[in-house]
Amino acid sequence: MAQDAVDKAVDTFPKFLLVNARERGHRPAIREKDLGIWQTWTWAQVKEEVKALALGLKELGVERGDKVAIIGSNKPRLYWSMCATQSIGGIPVPVYQDAVADEMAFVLAHAGAKVAIVENQEQVDKVLSISDRLPSITHVIYDEPRGLRDYDHTRLKWLNEIQDIGRKAMETKYSGDAWEKMIAEGKGSDIAVILYTSGTTGNPKGVMLTYESVVVSSRNANAFDNLTEKEEVIAYLPMAWVGDHIFSYAQSYVAGYTVNCPESPETIIEDRREIGTSYAFAPPRVYENLLTLTMVRMEDAGRVKRAMFHYFLGHARKWGEKILNKEPVPILARLIYWLGDILVYGPMKNRYGFTNVRVAYTAGEAIGPEIFRYYRSLGINLKQLYGQTEASVYITAQPDGEIYADTVGKPSPDVEIKIEQNGEVLFRSPGVFAGYYKDPDKTAETKTPDGWVKSGDAGFFDPKTGHLKIIDRAKDVGKLKDGTLFAPKYIENKLKFYPNIKEAVALGDKRDYVTVMLNIDLVSVGSWAERNNVIYGSYQELAAHPRVYEMLAEHVDEVNRSLSEEGPMAGAQIKRFLILHKELDADDGELTRTQKVRRGFIAERYGPLAEGLYNGAKEVDITTELTFEDGRKGNISARVRIQDMKTHPPAAAPMDKAA
Amino acid sequence: MRAPDETVIKAGQTLLSVENVSLSFGGVKAIRNVSFDIKKGEIRAIIGPNGAGKTSMLNVINGFYHPQEGEITFKGVKRKKMRPHDAATGGIARTFQNVALFKSMTTLDNIMAGRTLKMNKNFFWQLLRYGPAEQEEIQHRRKVEEIIDFLEIQHIRRVPVGRLPYGLQKRVELGRALAMEPELLLLDEPMAGMNLEEKEDMCRYVIDVNNHYGTTIALIEHDMGVVMDLANRVVVLDYGQKIADGTPDEVKADKAVIDAYLGVAH
Amino acid sequence: MLCVKPYNMLCKVFVIPFYEMWDLPDIFVQTLWEGLVGGTLYSLIALGFVLIFKASGVFNFAQGIMVVFSALTLVGLHAIGVPAYVALALAALIMLVLAFAVERVVLRPLVNQPDIILFMATFGLTYFLIGFGELIFGGDPKVMITRELNIPTGRISFDFAGGRVEMQKLDITATVVAGLMVAVLAVFFSKTRIGRALRAVADSHKAALSVGISLNQIWIIVWFAAGLVALVTGIMWGARSEVSFALEIIALKALPVLILGGFTSIPGAIVGGLIIGIGEKVGEIYWGPIIGGGIESWLAYMIALIFLLFRPQGLFGEKIIERV
Repeated sequence: MAQDAVDKAVDTFPKFLLVNARERGHRPAIREKDLGIWQTWTWAQVKEEVKALALGLKELGVERGDKVAIIGSNKPRLYWSMCATQSIGGIPVPVYQDAVADEMAFVLAHAGAKVAIVENQEQVDKVLSISDRLPSITHVIYDEPRGLRDYDHTRLKWLNEIQDIGRKAMETKYSGDAWEKMIAEGKGSDIAVILYTSGTTGNPKGVMLTYESVVVSSRNANAFDNLTEKEEVIAYLPMAWVGDHIFSYAQSYVAGYTVNCPESPETIIEDRREIGTSYAFAPPRVYENLLTLTMVRMEDAGRVKRAMFHYFLGHARKWGEKILNKEPVPILARLIYWLGDILVYGPMKNRYGFTNVRVAYTAGEAIGPEIFRYYRSLGINLKQLYGQTEASVYITAQPDGEIYADTVGKPSPDVEIKIEQNGEVLFRSPGVFAGYYKDPDKTAETKTPDGWVKSGDAGFFDPKTGHLKIIDRAKDVGKLKDGTLFAPKYIENKLKFYPNIKEAVALGDKRDYVTVMLNIDLVSVGSWAERNNVIYGSYQELAAHPRVYEMLAEHVDEVNRSLSEEGPMAGAQIKRFLILHKELDADDGELTRTQKVRRGFIAERYGPLAEGLYNGAKEVDITTELTFEDGRKGNISARVRIQDMKTHPPAAAPMDKAA
Repeated sequence: MRAPDETVIKAGQTLLSVENVSLSFGGVKAIRNVSFDIKKGEIRAIIGPNGAGKTSMLNVINGFYHPQEGEITFKGVKRKKMRPHDAATGGIARTFQNVALFKSMTTLDNIMAGRTLKMNKNFFWQLLRYGPAEQEEIQHRRKVEEIIDFLEIQHIRRVPVGRLPYGLQKRVELGRALAMEPELLLLDEPMAGMNLEEKEDMCRYVIDVNNHYGTTIALIEHDMGVVMDLANRVVVLDYGQKIADGTPDEVKADKAVIDAYLGVAH
Repeated sequence: MLCVKPYNMLCKVFVIPFYEMWDLPDIFVQTLWEGLVGGTLYSLIALGFVLIFKASGVFNFAQGIMVVFSALTLVGLHAIGVPAYVALALAALIMLVLAFAVERVVLRPLVNQPDIILFMATFGLTYFLIGFGELIFGGDPKVMITRELNIPTGRISFDFAGGRVEMQKLDITATVVAGLMVAVLAVFFSKTRIGRALRAVADSHKAALSVGISLNQIWIIVWFAAGLVALVTGIMWGARSEVSFALEIIALKALPVLILGGFTSIPGAIVGGLIIGIGEKVGEIYWGPIIGGGIESWLAYMIALIFLLFRPQGLFGEKIIERV
């Protein structure tokens, strides 16, 4: 109870800083690798640095409610700037450092930033180049002086100078506990930070988060994974991203753990290895890159090493996850896994800097199941979570021991979730945002008066696991005529999971049932054909081959079965499918340049086929124009067979696992 | 430690001059009676068509080739010929057209090797490595780390340079030359074989080196755009002879230069 | 008894020797040990070659005579009344003088000449040292001053698998000293400035010159190091037999080691030497009788060649990774 009272009193990050400086003053708060050496600042030292900077900013004229933009890569002083701003009642606005000048101009102008604290010459140049559009900015402060010596310093200041000003003020104007008093004035209900999120369309929106929201979310997250002051994390994701703000700032201040800033963006892997992070957070591409790097290295390795790698990896794939999930595993398999850990998994985890990792999260987008399983099979506790800036990150997360490649987990502590009629996921929690800065209309659109926030994503609770599954953006999810949810991308991705299927186009919005058009993967199906003495002369011939149809029908059936087990998805099973006579091609406008199917265009272009899928025809003749590689155009005619499929009855959810 | 009559050269004064230098290999004349000077603090470009004798000129300056005729004056000391060791001790560092690195060594060791002359010569301590030698090693390491930071090559610190892509190798080579804290830096086609982005980076480093460390730079370059942006003065060689010398604008307008570059028959 | 008629020969070559190894492990261990000791000395000689080849690209034919010359110097100095340890120090000093002389008289004038010229020059050096050595020390074999240098003699033996294994204390000392020598050199090359300079010179003369590394200084250092290695080799080898000019041909033993280990790899020289030494001994004991004597003279080359069939880049052949 007493602890609760203390917890309630410590409701802003500057207050947490004071607590940490007092209770764990000698422990490392932040490190930075500079000139090849890890420099460390303890919590007590950080407090002094932040204090000097805060009072310097105060002297510069930063008042309660003023916005301070922070632009740069993850550097201790930039994190301190955040806390320094908050300590005197200002609101930090971290900005993506790789934003082009125009984007940056919009954010800085919209936020009405008074001061910009930036990392280096590059950012100074960028801010100066747009300064005529930013009347509100009075000062630009930089951290790294290189190359800036000859700049006009009337409004430009070095961060160290600001701290000197602050230290001087400490002795005169703000002597004693003046600063601590300023901190005490801060309340949990104040805005802690404004994080701009780039929407897919329109201008970025400034998400305002209160101290309460961020503190509660951080506390819950720390408790969820039992994080203590002993954790080591590495800060390398953009400071303007809510993920970094929570992981590398908020949770660190709340738990008192150590944040490590890498030497340069290129040295992260090496730096992570040196630190041995215990808690990690990264979007899927980071894990993908690590894996690709490993595979490339292995291709260069000697024969013995490669054979060993593949053998043990195969073993890990079979048993690793089971061992991690503490399921029963035969003793021999355990023994081989143990050996593999010494020879392969251990060294590899060390390379990734994951030797000491207790919990690693992937978030931001869907991770490939193969990649996900790879890390788990090595014994790394990689988990998924689903979050948004508007929720102070946490909406759902996977609890230990309940890990699935295709779910995002259960509602995080204190989070309520409901699914709308159209499949959209709504959430409500103490962590939800206060509103979009200077945009009440957008706020009202997203946040209902009773506190529910529309995520914009469609999803459902998987009856088997009780976990949330995200299927697509809500606006891309349609409905069958009978009102069943139809998530084309979700179905297509399930199909594309089979190596034989290269592309899939699902139809069904405002129709009676779901159908798909498939593209076979020539490499995969071709090698299958070779092994099975299937003779074919062209792609078209192979695609129309009865045995290929047979094979794909099996895949479609499996997809149907898996859909039947997924509650709301059961009604969207595939009734009919066909295999297209030509490969979908970006040159023909069927794919975007990023290789995404253009569903509407395809349905139109292959009109007769789409019609055939819904009028019961067994075969459809079609002539299509296509572009050859050299740019010539030609026609291709074909008779395309349509295959009917059985659907499976919806499986009842097992009661014990239901949410 | 060498040449006690060396004088201290102030910015703008002549740091190095070659006078009437001629060099031939067997019967082939590579350089014919060329004179020019390099002033302290400037970026001096040497340009010219292929086979004009540019690299030979650099080799004469840092003592790889010994001219048959002419004299080299460096920091007020006149020499008939320069020896590589004299050049290095005197403060001339260089990079090579096709990159000459210690390929089996790491980036760090390559740049450390550039500190060779700055290190205490006490062989005995070096053998033991401890005591003063270790202290010294730490100081040099700090200097080298600053260069690594300056050139943004932290990520390849421990990679054997033979494995690096060409653009990075050139950067390491520049780093090794910088580690010598040279008074005169000779760059032989620093941007050759680079893509546009790498070229821009290299340009920035060259300018920064000149600004930040005040190093005098003489560079050979083919890309005229680069030369015009970087150089304070340009000397143009053609068939081993000097055909023009002046600011980029002067040289650009020079008829002999235009002829040489457009390939007018002699 | 194990072999039946038509396969008699195959059986003798491929079965019997292994059966014997398994049947009498004490003899096998004894054989391995002796092979190891011989291998250690091969390694040392090869090491001398590698040092010089790495830094200057010169195949130093004179390494063998340097072994003899240094050992003779040591023994000769002692013979005229110099105390053993002082003689040892003086012998080392003389190797330093030799290094200076070689740099001054042979290498410096011939710099930039083709490698074959330098190779020929080391021939000249060899014959000079033979003549000079005979002039001073005379041509007859000498006895190494083993006792005076306090090198333990005698043997230790222990029971092993029902038999007895004997080890000469001298051999143990030789192995330990050689190991120490290699360790010291390894640290020297990898950790010190001079070591770094040496590796630099090995990689690129041009670049080394441009950073002010003095080739001449490096040459003196490597020749001196090779001289010290020669001195140690000479003492150890001389202690086992005698010090005479006949020792010079042990240089030829280094060739298969170099083929195996590569001309530029220090670990290659060491491991290569051990493989050749052990292989030679094992071959001699187990296969020698079948083939009939004379096996020692060519077996080392045979082992090297067989090895190369499987690893053409040599033992520690660095994969040459260069990008254009």
